[in-house]
Amino acid sequence: MTTYIIRRLLYTIPIVLGVLLLTFVLFTLVGGDISIELAGKGASAETIEEIREEYGLNKPLFLSWDSQFINHFKKALTFNFGRARDRELIIDKIKRGIGPSLSLTVPMFFGILVISISLSLVIAFVRGTVWDALAVIICVAGMSIPYLSFILFGQYFFAYKWGFFPVFFSPDLSPPQYVALPVLIGIIAGLGGNLRFYRTVMLDEMRSDYVRTAFAKGLTPGRVLFKHVLKNAMIPIITRVVLAIPFLFLGSLLLERFFGIPGLGYLMVEAIGSRDYYVINAMTYISAILFVAFNVITDICYAWVDPRISFD
Amino acid sequence: MILYATEQRLYVISAILGVLLFIAGCDSSSSEHKSDESVIYAIMPTKIQGFDPGYTSDIYSAEVTSSIYECLYTYHYLKRPYEIIPRLADGMPQISKDGLTYTIKIKKGVYFADDACFEEGKGRELKADDFIFAWKRLANIKFLSPNWWVFDNKIVGLDRFREYTKTCKSQFDVDYSREVEGLQIPDDYTVVIKLIRPWPQFIYILAHHPTAPIAKEAIDYYGKDIINHPVGTGPFKLKLWRKSSYIELVKNPNFREEYYPAEGEAGDLEKGFLDDTGKKVPLVERLLWLIIEEEQPMWLQFLRGKIDASAIPKDNFGQAISPARDLTEDLKERNIRLVKIYDPDVFYIGFNMEDPELGKNKPLRQAISYGYNRTREIELFWNNVWEVAYGFIPPVFKSYSDQIKTIGQRYDPEKARQLVKEARKIHGGDLPTLKISVGSMDTQRRQMAQFYERCLEEIGLDIELEFMDWPVFLEKLNTKSCQIFSLGWMADYPDAENFLQIFYSKNAAPGPNHFNYSSERFDRIYEKVIVMEDCPERTRLYQEAEKIVLEDCPVAFTTHRVRYILLHDWLGNYKAHVYPFGVWRYRKADGAKRAAYQKLIKRLK
Repeated sequence: MTTYIIRRLLYTIPIVLGVLLLTFVLFTLVGGDISIELAGKGASAETIEEIREEYGLNKPLFLSWDSQFINHFKKALTFNFGRARDRELIIDKIKRGIGPSLSLTVPMFFGILVISISLSLVIAFVRGTVWDALAVIICVAGMSIPYLSFILFGQYFFAYKWGFFPVFFSPDLSPPQYVALPVLIGIIAGLGGNLRFYRTVMLDEMRSDYVRTAFAKGLTPGRVLFKHVLKNAMIPIITRVVLAIPFLFLGSLLLERFFGIPGLGYLMVEAIGSRDYYVINAMTYISAILFVAFNVITDICYAWVDPRISFD
Repeated sequence: MILYATEQRLYVISAILGVLLFIAGCDSSSSEHKSDESVIYAIMPTKIQGFDPGYTSDIYSAEVTSSIYECLYTYHYLKRPYEIIPRLADGMPQISKDGLTYTIKIKKGVYFADDACFEEGKGRELKADDFIFAWKRLANIKFLSPNWWVFDNKIVGLDRFREYTKTCKSQFDVDYSREVEGLQIPDDYTVVIKLIRPWPQFIYILAHHPTAPIAKEAIDYYGKDIINHPVGTGPFKLKLWRKSSYIELVKNPNFREEYYPAEGEAGDLEKGFLDDTGKKVPLVERLLWLIIEEEQPMWLQFLRGKIDASAIPKDNFGQAISPARDLTEDLKERNIRLVKIYDPDVFYIGFNMEDPELGKNKPLRQAISYGYNRTREIELFWNNVWEVAYGFIPPVFKSYSDQIKTIGQRYDPEKARQLVKEARKIHGGDLPTLKISVGSMDTQRRQMAQFYERCLEEIGLDIELEFMDWPVFLEKLNTKSCQIFSLGWMADYPDAENFLQIFYSKNAAPGPNHFNYSSERFDRIYEKVIVMEDCPERTRLYQEAEKIVLEDCPVAFTTHRVRYILLHDWLGNYKAHVYPFGVWRYRKADGAKRAAYQKLIKRLK
């Protein structure tokens, strides 16, 4: 198994290097010299040169230890992404945004996971009945309603009308206070799609022979569902769950904006709005790294959970 | 059936994952819940540019920055018409008979806030040299200040100093000890300014935030980062600035003894504006601006009593204001007050005259102006409260004349279509797609931009919209990088001459002339009026200058703003002020009333 893990980790090296190469090509070669964009049309040659000096754009592209290409790699590998357009260190922005983003996305993620898996088992058990049909209708309706509507209605009723939660972020509030409502809204809005997916997974399992045998042996529905069906549905669940984790770090764009949560989703939107290529580059790189890392974790989990998958 | 995975393994995976994510999800930097006492919660509808008075030029940045930095003069908080009074100056200036020399004493015992840039972190006393340094810094061409216009061609020798800075390698290589004839400091507490020609508005400039003094140590220490690290003499200092989230200022312990005004205009006593006379300012410990770009959270936050004052979103106007233009019963029950402010401003669609398509195609610019439906904009977005702008002089200024309504461009789609045909002839074929830049990403601004697009497409133009946040938009304007833009200008001081500044050719970007408009006729009038005292002839020349602008059409004027501001009853001493520089020191919040409101809204349900 150790060999397997080492091999999988070694596979990630060319992928990470590929990501770095791609971001360099996109942001430096295709994007062109951004000093002109930063300095503007009316800028003097000296101003443009000053910006090029500050951002290292006057260095050769390749073929030097101090080239832009090598510096791009160095910066990424040391997580020293330099300064954002507003002159703040990018890594400081990211570090500050991770906490609020995860405070929002992690409980949302677990909430959706636990509720949708549990409900999907129950729905799978009552398949073909009116309850099953009703659940499917609610799921489809939930998927069809725009995310923004959930936010606007949730904010209006839960926060303003009934006063259960704060309407908006305030530095005087603790994270559990300001993320509680967005988490709830995120769970409600995310249930439809997830529930439908897990229902399908559970229904596939419910049609298996071993389930019929288990019921024939006189096992209780709870034991069949939670001990046998759930366990055998783990592979698709792990795939979906582990690959969703990197996105938790990116926060939730709309929820963060409407509730003022200073997370990474907001940071990304802000970077796009302010044409801050350096922040966009850093966030793209971090997302890619997380995605690759969690892909490796998924593979390891597969092999560990299902012995049919060989370590060789 | 064989179960491949052991239960233990599944539990281990789940537990590790859960613990890792839980740990990561906990935000250790959370602040503890603080008391609402002595805090004002305000709204900022957009991100601000920063805190450098030399570099920021927008009203949002100025509102915050002016609580940290101060100028020689300011406007009386209560008296109307607006009256200039000393702030850092020790009395009004002594002006020579020829109006060319200003001798200004500065107050003793004024200290900068403590900061790491000073020796042992202790703020030092303000000296006359700090003003001279700040003003020379505006002149530094490498600094690219958008505020140079305040001194351009006004002070003896300062333009020469600006020429000298061209020879320096970077903004930090400039030798600020170089003599400037028109800026002298006979002693540490006296500034003598020599003007090239008389300039009656100069006193207003000395009350305008770009002229605030700056400690050289702060610039040496922070360099370009000074925009994030303000070091001023004002009543507040920056505690925390989360760029897109909030700005928190706290009381500056080094702030001198300054007191709430003892005089106001008629009626102020009855309204309670003089209740705090003689009290030391600032009246609150903390100022907190929440940056809320979307309207629904802003409105709900206000109604929940979590912010103290708010504008009214367009979709909630009917809920707040009755057809008689008063507060609705619902809001009156909540003890909410209404303040109406007629701002000295003008909003417009601006054209970059250096753009090859627009600059040489007057019919195209005129087509846009005639094709834009201002009345509909006011109906759709401003609840019929704002006023149509026909020229640049706001109706609240005495130099405004109703005659402008007959001269100014108005919505006339037929005429606009004719003009588009002419524009095509000049261009020599189909017109290219025109790009409108908008400095906001919120829903209302997007809708407004779509409205521009619809109006202009109806007259046969192809439009592309470009959205960006406010600081980037200002940067683009300052670097002449926008083709068409949506913007407004709010008077810096109570004289329409300030609006002429934005069309003067020497004030082209990064100065306030974002149109990069140049007209010899206009410039001649401008140069004539700036030395004139207030008189009917000057007013006539203002109006003549306005006509020239309308004729050349570097801009399509759209609206004059009328603000309806709602206040909770715990926000005290909130007197509307259209030059809101450093006014937060006089305002206060009553914590007990704020707490009572929470009970009130529960009861109202």
